[in-house]
Amino acid sequence: MSERYVRHPDLRLADVEGDGVVLHLGTRRYFSMTESGLILMQALETPQAVSDLVGLLLEQYEVTPEQAEISVRQFIDTCRTADLLLPEGK
Amino acid sequence: MMLGASILVRCDNYAVKTAIETWLTGLSLDAPAGLVLDVVITDDALPEVTDFVFEQPDVRFARGAGGRGLIVVWMEAPAVAALLAADTTASIRLSGEAARQMDLCIRTFMMSVLIVLLRRVGWYHLHAATAIDPQGRGWLIAGNAHAGKSTTAALLAANGWRVGADDAAWLARRDHRVVVHTPRAPIALREDGHRLLARDGGVQLTDRGKVGYTPEDLGGVWTPLVDPEIVIFTAVGTSRTSAHPLDRRSALAELVRWSAWVVLEPDLAQAHLDVLTSLTRQTRTFRVTLGRDLFAHPNRLIELTT
Repeated sequence: MSERYVRHPDLRLADVEGDGVVLHLGTRRYFSMTESGLILMQALETPQAVSDLVGLLLEQYEVTPEQAEISVRQFIDTCRTADLLLPEGK
Repeated sequence: MMLGASILVRCDNYAVKTAIETWLTGLSLDAPAGLVLDVVITDDALPEVTDFVFEQPDVRFARGAGGRGLIVVWMEAPAVAALLAADTTASIRLSGEAARQMDLCIRTFMMSVLIVLLRRVGWYHLHAATAIDPQGRGWLIAGNAHAGKSTTAALLAANGWRVGADDAAWLARRDHRVVVHTPRAPIALREDGHRLLARDGGVQLTDRGKVGYTPEDLGGVWTPLVDPEIVIFTAVGTSRTSAHPLDRRSALAELVRWSAWVVLEPDLAQAHLDVLTSLTRQTRTFRVTLGRDLFAHPNRLIELTT
């Protein structure tokens, strides 16, 4: 079974003209996100697998499954580096 | 009801109770009812608090039991306030040493406790001066301690603007707007601002090294409430005053910076962030560099932001 991720419990989100802003209460850092990043981050309130997030992008945007998966994996890598996402159960 | 009297003070020590009530009445904040400052003076050792999650000059904050609620600690003398999650009572224990420094205790520790307490009823503190221009538009002037907020507030008061406080504003929702409640507090000028304003009078705030003016001292009028339409984030520069519009994401980043309490108490953080976000939607926001030309042309702020 593929690994699932969930957003860090210390995150708070804001929608500013369609774009996203993420505030990390623990690190007190502030991040900007694209509209698609905000959609993924909102979904990640509950655990999601890469395939779930890819499906979400395919519903919202005209992209190929390959492009969507590349975007999702980049998003996850970036967010994990910034401590915004956690593997489920950690 | 007298403004500021909506916050109940419980304390067996008459002098301390009177000092706190006098301060609250002087602030003239029309705060929601139900807030309580429950103060005990004790010579017992106060609990040692560690693992601070947030620090201000002289005051530190730690999470309460189970990670919820908040503990506020004064660093100048032993004094601790405990606020249980969602509770609108602050249980405050002051040492005799703290009680003997009530002026300083009120200005730093008690003010921090008040900020935390008001957040529980949807009042969110922002480091900002407030004003209403001659056309009736509400302004917020945000920035750090050397960003020219007080001098600008004094200058505007002297030029017919209504002015609230120079460094404390509480954002709150009213109907479909975010409004700003401001305390009654002197506009406190440092030596350089005092010299530039070139006004006689004022009250020496000797313990702060500043001179305090009310808006009325300067020919203006104090306003307790502002409906903001314009927010400026200021810095003092050496050239002419200039203004640059901010996009909403940048404006929100600035508001988070000057309303840093947003990171405290995770249970309240989303509502706090939502109010800041709403403020970016209802206002036009600018980064403003303040120049000395403003003293000759204070309404240049209006010209630059219109």
